[in-house]
Amino acid sequence: MGDPRGFMKYSRQDKTIQPVEQRIKNHDEHYNYPTEEEVKTQAARCMDCGVPFCMTGCPLGNLIPEWNDLVYRGQWKQALQALHATNNFPEFTGRVCPAPCEASCVLGINEPQVTIKLHEVSIVNKGFEEGWIVAQPPKSRSGKTVAIIGGGPAGLACAQQLNRAGHKVTVYEKSDRAGGLLMYGIPHYKLRKEKVQRRVDLLAEEGIEFRYSCEVGKDVAFAELKEQYDAVVFASGAEEPRDLPVAGRDLDGIHFAMEFLPQQNRANWGDSDLAVLHPKQQLINAEGKKVIVIGGGDTGSDCIGTSLRQGATSVVNFELLGQPPVERAENNPWPQWSRILRISSSVEELEALGGDVEYEIMTTRFIGSEGKVTGLETVKVDWSTGKPEKVAGSEKIWEADLVLLAMGYLGPRPQAISQAACETDPRSNIKTDAKTRMTSVEGVFAAGDCRRGQSLVVWAISEGREVARCVDEYLTGKPSLLPKVRLETFQY
Amino acid sequence: MPGVTLISPPPHHDIYSIEDMAQLIFDLKNCNPAADITVKLVSEVGVGTVAAGVSKGHAERVIISGYDGGTGASPISSIKHAGMPWEIGLAETQQTLVLNDLRGRIIVQTDGQLRTARDVIIATMLGAEEYAFATVALVTVGCIMMRKCHLNTCPVGVATQDAALRGKFAGKPEHVVNYFTFLAEEIRVLMAELGVRSLEELVGQTQYLAMDDAIKHWKSKGLDYSKMLVKPAVGPEVAIRRIQGQDHGLDKQLDHKLINLAAPALERKEKVTIELPIKNSNRTFGTMLSGMVAKLHGREGLPEGTIDVRLTGIAGQSFGAFLAPGVNLYLEGEANDYVGKGMAGGRISIRPDATATFAWHENSIVGNTVLYGATGGEAFFAGKAGERFCVRNSGVTAVVEGTGDHGCEYMTGGRVIVLGRTGRNFAAGMSGGFAYVLDEDSRFRRRCNPAMVDLEQMSATDEDAEWLKQIIAKHYEETASPRAAEILADWENQLTRFVRVFPHEYRRVLTEMAAAAEAKKEAIHG
Repeated sequence: MGDPRGFMKYSRQDKTIQPVEQRIKNHDEHYNYPTEEEVKTQAARCMDCGVPFCMTGCPLGNLIPEWNDLVYRGQWKQALQALHATNNFPEFTGRVCPAPCEASCVLGINEPQVTIKLHEVSIVNKGFEEGWIVAQPPKSRSGKTVAIIGGGPAGLACAQQLNRAGHKVTVYEKSDRAGGLLMYGIPHYKLRKEKVQRRVDLLAEEGIEFRYSCEVGKDVAFAELKEQYDAVVFASGAEEPRDLPVAGRDLDGIHFAMEFLPQQNRANWGDSDLAVLHPKQQLINAEGKKVIVIGGGDTGSDCIGTSLRQGATSVVNFELLGQPPVERAENNPWPQWSRILRISSSVEELEALGGDVEYEIMTTRFIGSEGKVTGLETVKVDWSTGKPEKVAGSEKIWEADLVLLAMGYLGPRPQAISQAACETDPRSNIKTDAKTRMTSVEGVFAAGDCRRGQSLVVWAISEGREVARCVDEYLTGKPSLLPKVRLETFQY
Repeated sequence: MPGVTLISPPPHHDIYSIEDMAQLIFDLKNCNPAADITVKLVSEVGVGTVAAGVSKGHAERVIISGYDGGTGASPISSIKHAGMPWEIGLAETQQTLVLNDLRGRIIVQTDGQLRTARDVIIATMLGAEEYAFATVALVTVGCIMMRKCHLNTCPVGVATQDAALRGKFAGKPEHVVNYFTFLAEEIRVLMAELGVRSLEELVGQTQYLAMDDAIKHWKSKGLDYSKMLVKPAVGPEVAIRRIQGQDHGLDKQLDHKLINLAAPALERKEKVTIELPIKNSNRTFGTMLSGMVAKLHGREGLPEGTIDVRLTGIAGQSFGAFLAPGVNLYLEGEANDYVGKGMAGGRISIRPDATATFAWHENSIVGNTVLYGATGGEAFFAGKAGERFCVRNSGVTAVVEGTGDHGCEYMTGGRVIVLGRTGRNFAAGMSGGFAYVLDEDSRFRRRCNPAMVDLEQMSATDEDAEWLKQIIAKHYEETASPRAAEILADWENQLTRFVRVFPHEYRRVLTEMAAAAEAKKEAIHG
């Protein structure tokens, strides 16, 4: 806290993305970061609180006041060290994290919060620009081997931590590139894929082995892994999407978000086999189509932004729940995660182009002709009883020739874990011991969405780091020297 | 003065023994006989003995303060490393007080991050009958423990003078009321479970407490808590909670007579002159009168010289403690320790008896810790003072003819003139005010602590030379000091032997203020 009164002198400036009309034209990353001096001024707003709630808000326990101060003083290299001390991939969270740290920022009680996420991304951008971020291979090897199933953020964080502890890590990735949702889920305009690849390349350089297009349970048997490695970590994500089993669901033109989004991400790489990840190998493109996106979360938002960039003639977004309040409700006080209306970049684009988000709406059937979807019927719902009650007379028919389902994920794909014979919890996630993170099978661990259910990138990294520590303790039989993730964080 | 550092928390240089403490309690009680005097002690091993002394010293209340509290403004070293859990200190205090039959006349209070009814009940069982809550009450009105109380930047407006920030204060009295209502409610629940009807019944009843084996830790296996839970075996005649007040012996104070004689001044601001003999058992003379002046006439007190008290004899300790403006004490004889402690105004003049055969300036006229923490007024001592003269002075103008060690320590304001030799470590931690020392042997520099001050030789062209002469003339007028007469007779030469002690910080603040005044003047005229 270089400037004790900084928060009184400066106001929050957080416009970090390009104007709609500029960014909507292409799929490229849409950020427009402020200058170093402007970032330093923003960092002056940090108050270095006696009780830094931001750190407890962050699932990684990032040392936020520390690097805020270093940014203010222009000590970028030290700031990068402090940032990397708790976060393996700040370039990802600095772009796509919803920043629970900012929701619990003390300044947020009565002022706009500190731009923590801006500082994070500024530090890591500077780090890459200056060439400070280089591979750090371990000095010695333990002789132990670990297989990680899944190359998403949890798997990658776990891999990096275990590799640094000297264990030989092999990541089994079912698609042709590592990164999981970072690579094929999140659109290019939010997170440039070269940035994901850059990190994966650094990991490979550190000595982590990647087996691509190798799905455990299909291309290689789980038993083989168990036999071959000293420990196995599931970081396979929660890929099973929530379906909408209403009449007409099998019509052509109704797709899950994760059948649609990867294709554009592959297109941005210049790949020719865009449909390779689609179960029916269908090509999906929103160009010239009337698109309806069902689901008002992050995935739905990504579908909207991608559809608009592909040239959809119209996009409508449905959300089952009501519109959240603009300000915190009485029962949602600071420092809890704020359940307020957040306009994502894609929804901002949608509204700028005349589209809209429909709240409290439920799809009752799909309508089609010749096997193709042409529209759907909806009904308004009333949540006043706590349960969705259909409102009589509010039925409405919508035209659509592409419907994207983005209604969340139910849990891990059962076939991926059935071979391992791990116990699962009632929500179909892999069950582990809370402390050791070990599943019911000796030597098999789980981390990330496959353990805790669908969640944020920052939680995936947190889970990956924590499971790495547990695996290290399991392998060495000694207390691990890997840092412990602060688990006293608020569990929202 | 804004900009001059205060040493916080303040070191109590007027308390070096339990007798000093008893004296301070007596002084404070004199100053306001209606007030309860409370002594706050840090919980640590041996605190019971200190608490016994506090009870013997006639304090109404002792607070046993645990280690995990601490204001947000205190230094981090104090917050982290001072004291022990209140439970330990409280148990020791209760046992010591009961065993020595000192418990019945003093209230025992405890604090240090008390939160719940369980804390209160345990504190009661260990011997407390009062409990203090600070952090938790602040948290109910919005404190978020920023630990910025000393920076004036509290973002929730709890601990700040800044108008804009205070505007953000969102607390309501109801929040505090709510917390304490719940607390009291839960205390009742716990008392009902124990089967007691009032908290008094629980004070010191350690038989209700036992160590929980389930929370044992391998590190704690060498620890034995059983001594904490001992209930002293005493008869029914020994009180285990407070049942009576303290007897301060205030009825024997000479001040009652003084107040009677000063009635016209107190009631109608008429000038009175009072002549009295004094002896060294008359402790804390003039303090009760000063308390009365403050009570009737507030901070400004009475006009200068309204009550003129002329005394002969030897004054007891704390002569003129907390003296109020408008009261002049003139003493022919000598005085003991703590003369003018915390003095706020008025004048104290002390000179030896006219029949004294010794050289005045070579002999002590007042004791140790004179003018400790004085905030205003004048003092003239025709003789030497003891150790710690004018420590923490922030406003008195004093003339003395020699001092012991540690003179003017932690001084933040006022002016001190020493017409003779000082002891070592003069001006240590002095951040404000001036001292003028007559440096006869040219060795003052070696006796002074130069860390925070500049030493400057005086000359006739100095702005304050005339003022210095006037004050020394006044010293002569008041006390007829031969020393002052000598100096004044040879003023030109003597002046150049004075050394001005000028704190660095004080100089900076004075320069800034002068510049600001200049700028303001220009703004008005320009």
